[in-house]
Amino acid sequence: MTYLAQVINSTIREITPILLVALCAGVCSKVQVFNIALEGTLLMSAFFAFLTHYFLRNIFLSVAVSMAVAMGMTLIMSTFIVRLKGQPMIVGMALNTFARGFTTFLLSVIFKTKGAVNPSDLKGLTKFDLPVIKRIPFLSTVFGSLTVIDYLAFVLAVVMFVIMYRTVIGFRLRALGINKSAASSLGINVPRYQILATTLSGSMIGLAGCLLTLGRNAMFIQDISGARGYVALAANNLCKGHPLGAMISSALFGFTTALARSLQGTAIRQQLLQCIPYIATIAAMAFYNAYARAKANRKL
Amino acid sequence: MNNERNWRRTLLGIVDTVTQPLIAVLISFLLGAVVILVIGKNPLLAYGEMIRGAFGKQVYLMNTLKRATPIIMGGLAVCMAWRSGYEAMGGEGQMILGAVAAALVGYYLPVPGWLRIPAAMLAAAAAGAVYSMFSGWLFERFDVTFVISTLMLNYIANYFAAYLCNYPLRDPEANVYQMQNAQTGKLPEDVTLPPIIKGWVHWGFVIAVVAVLVTWFLFKKTSFGYKSRMGGLNPRFALYGGIDARRMLYLVMALSGVMAGLGGSFEVLGSKGRYVDQMIFSTGYAWTGMVAALLANMNPVGTLLASILLAGLAVGGSTMMLNMDIPLEVCNIIEGIITLFMSARMIRIAAGNVRRRKLAKGGGEV
Amino acid sequence: MVFEMKHITKTYDAVVANDDVSLHLNRGEILSIVGENGAGKSTIMKILYGLEKPDSGEIIVGGKPRRFNNPSDAMAVGIGMVQQHFMLFEQMTVAENIVFKNELKNGPFMDMNRTVETVRQISERYELKIDPLMRISDCPVGLRQRVEILKILYQNAEIIIFDEPSAVLTPLEVEALLETLRGLARAGKSIVLITHKLQEVMAVSDRVYVMRQGRVVAERMAADTDIRELAMLMVGHPLASYEIDPPKPGETLLETKGLRLVENGREVLTDISLHVNAGEIVGIAGVSGNGQSELIRCITGLERSTGGQVLVCGADVTNRSVREIRNAGLAHISEDRYVWGSAPEGTLEENALMARQDDRPFSSHGIIRPSAIRSFAAKLIEDFNVKASSPSQKMRELSGGNAQKLIVAREMSLDTPVLICCEPTRGIDIGAMEAIHNRMLRRREDGAAILLVSSELTEIMSLSDRIYVIFEGRIVGEFARGSMDDRHLGLLMVGGTIEHEQ
Repeated sequence: MTYLAQVINSTIREITPILLVALCAGVCSKVQVFNIALEGTLLMSAFFAFLTHYFLRNIFLSVAVSMAVAMGMTLIMSTFIVRLKGQPMIVGMALNTFARGFTTFLLSVIFKTKGAVNPSDLKGLTKFDLPVIKRIPFLSTVFGSLTVIDYLAFVLAVVMFVIMYRTVIGFRLRALGINKSAASSLGINVPRYQILATTLSGSMIGLAGCLLTLGRNAMFIQDISGARGYVALAANNLCKGHPLGAMISSALFGFTTALARSLQGTAIRQQLLQCIPYIATIAAMAFYNAYARAKANRKL
Repeated sequence: MNNERNWRRTLLGIVDTVTQPLIAVLISFLLGAVVILVIGKNPLLAYGEMIRGAFGKQVYLMNTLKRATPIIMGGLAVCMAWRSGYEAMGGEGQMILGAVAAALVGYYLPVPGWLRIPAAMLAAAAAGAVYSMFSGWLFERFDVTFVISTLMLNYIANYFAAYLCNYPLRDPEANVYQMQNAQTGKLPEDVTLPPIIKGWVHWGFVIAVVAVLVTWFLFKKTSFGYKSRMGGLNPRFALYGGIDARRMLYLVMALSGVMAGLGGSFEVLGSKGRYVDQMIFSTGYAWTGMVAALLANMNPVGTLLASILLAGLAVGGSTMMLNMDIPLEVCNIIEGIITLFMSARMIRIAAGNVRRRKLAKGGGEV
Repeated sequence: MVFEMKHITKTYDAVVANDDVSLHLNRGEILSIVGENGAGKSTIMKILYGLEKPDSGEIIVGGKPRRFNNPSDAMAVGIGMVQQHFMLFEQMTVAENIVFKNELKNGPFMDMNRTVETVRQISERYELKIDPLMRISDCPVGLRQRVEILKILYQNAEIIIFDEPSAVLTPLEVEALLETLRGLARAGKSIVLITHKLQEVMAVSDRVYVMRQGRVVAERMAADTDIRELAMLMVGHPLASYEIDPPKPGETLLETKGLRLVENGREVLTDISLHVNAGEIVGIAGVSGNGQSELIRCITGLERSTGGQVLVCGADVTNRSVREIRNAGLAHISEDRYVWGSAPEGTLEENALMARQDDRPFSSHGIIRPSAIRSFAAKLIEDFNVKASSPSQKMRELSGGNAQKLIVAREMSLDTPVLICCEPTRGIDIGAMEAIHNRMLRRREDGAAILLVSSELTEIMSLSDRIYVIFEGRIVGEFARGSMDDRHLGLLMVGGTIEHEQ
């Protein structure tokens, strides 16, 4: 029973960073900016969250810096794609390469290491215990040691839904994503909208970055983002950019990752377990597309 | 007059293709210099070390060419696929499987050593091709986009290879107590690609150069090249003209995978003599190859040159690291910035603006 | 006078699109601007709407000189334009499309109730019936156009420009449109109608400008002129008509038997049986979107049919590959030259080679021979009088007409027994059009079987020996040359007869 609660708890923690990144990916895809710099953006923001916290010991500032870095990366990404007509795939890969190089570079300059930095005296994000639930045995484990950002992620999913589907600005963003020339024919500055929307949504990657480095204990490991940016891209692809759907598709990937982790120590080797989330991603997309195709054929 | 205009067009085209990379390289080295300055080192000295360490002596140059070998193959894999409009990024996974296949066949196949080398290369090519065609199948059958499928497949390949060299294929002579990456058994001397001449780079580089020429020939001189280019420019047009899109997809993906797989085998047969966990993943050969192909605008010969330059950057970077205590990752930063600035069509856009302004002016006078 | 344009001149590179054009519009008037493709009528209206900037000249709206940098500027002074290509958001509702950019808000939120109510009111006031909550993707073309009009009315435009509004409509929809135009004029709106369809001009306009080669060549009150005079003024010379010998019918070269296509559960083609004989041009008449494109794609192998048979030169090629069908003796001028018919980013040589990439002398054993390709491309360019500077230039650098000529040249030079021509002259100038028509007639003389699909009824009527009428994926009529009149044909094209008119 406790074991199950622990698995659920670890699933939630796996979901939230992916969900936050997927929410940003959702905005980007709605305004037709193809963003695969998610991975590098996540890595950079995670690193800077850690760095700020390490030097300034201020959790709020760390979160702020992390969000700012993520927005900066997203701004560069969208400027290069929208204004300079860069090929999205290449812009994204360039930023990912840069992020990998830059973080490892600073890691070895500042901490003289290329592996992990795990200062024992540094605390992570404050844990947020729900008042009543912490007394209930099973649920207290399920919701144990989650941070504010973990809860915020699910709140943000709902907020993003309201913004995108109920407000004027969301309406305009979705519309211009559907037909850019129609929007600009009515005098909308499409590039400006695209860049602003993507950049602002980039702040959510900043939150995800904080979760990676400050979520449990404060630590940074080289390549800590570990393909979560790509997985989030796939999650977003699966839910077609819908913020509420992102909760479900992120949960799928969060669950498989947690599952792989919980199976450690069994007969199946760790390296094979690590493949599971990626295989699940491909399988989910294949099944979903096959299902959608079958449905379209059945429709009369 | 007609001829003159053609000539000018060609000249402008050349200027256009050459200036863009030059400017991108310049900007990235300038920004790299800023980074070096910030950590309190002299960028000129650092770059001096880098160039010397990459091309300064025969040994260094040979090291550079050795490192360039898998990069070239990764670059060719990208040229092959992207030119046909399949923006796949699976070179890494294919290279890993190629390397593992080569290590496996090279170590275990019970035939004489001289026969094992081609067998290992063949196995590597096949492994790369199959893995590449698998992403093609996912695309054709299930509409799974190449970006996502290939990125995921890269991770799967890396973990799978890690499993293999940790357990079933683990080097029987390895010291269990030693802290190092897991690896497969060391290939015997006669199953490694020998140097061309003593002290030179191994034969893998020669094969890579041949592969460049073959790719160039395929692109320029064969109907396959024509079909793949048309498929890339306008898939519907290709279909309309009777080109079998499905066949081309698998053929192109297979060839692309062969290139990447062979690249992996050269690293095993020519350089390391075994598969070491993470050896392809951590070096980023495939990504560097992609950057090279991009710098060269998918031209195979250009990819060869760009690969050597980028390999030089990394090899020179290690010298710089040793002699000046500057982290090697400066090179990744520079590589990333080059790619970023290559992606934008800044020059063409700037030229377009000038042309438009000129026209506006001229138009006003009419 | 609601607006006046004085001495407008506009050039693109070396082409003079508008040459000292002056015109004006009165309140509550329906003004038509007629002219052939490329006469400059669209350009002058794009200038008025802020999509293009004039090189010189003056625009006066509401008594003041204006400068429009973009359509928003024009809209701000009450000018709206219904473009030929609709600017709509497919997956959104009618109401959402209409209010875009001027949304009815409730704080930061969309006020959907008020939006729907407002749209309903406007639609009632101008008698343009529509369901505000319908999705655009479910709207037929006529309704989409109505949304465009409502969009402009919602923004309180006083001047409404219609650019070729009837090009995409069925005859019934055209009737409704003309009624709408009259209604709008009665409601005090001033209307500019750009078109080359003279019947419509005569049916609704008060006044007409005729443009030719970038100039206004005539101004007439509609009451004082007729179609014949306008046509003369438009073309500048009496219309040429083709002298066609009676057909010498040969054997059947192209035949479909009971062809069916079901797409996404919807029956797109139903029991299509047709045949084309040697030495014959057979037209398929129909309002676009009634299955013509799908029919051609099934015949040429670009799409798999669900049932039935296709025979080319007697051989059953049903659902074979494009290559096999082409090899059986078929060439195909596709309906959209940049979507299917060419690679705009490719060179002329590459575009000329298509469909011959595996044939001698251009390629043998997979190796291509650039010199053979080059001289072949040069020959096509010369034979068909394509205006190009070199075979190695890019396809997109050619004008639409010249690009089309190259495509026609490529397909005709294949010298196949069967030739399929889809919209062979869409959007190109008269010169290129006549050249292409003459080539088609020459191939007919040589004994080819030609299947012609066109949304221009005049093109079908003047070239075809026989005509099939297609409606909602069915052949609803067949006529021989001379036995058909365009009224009857037009009626069949929209489903004709009583049961569909209800």
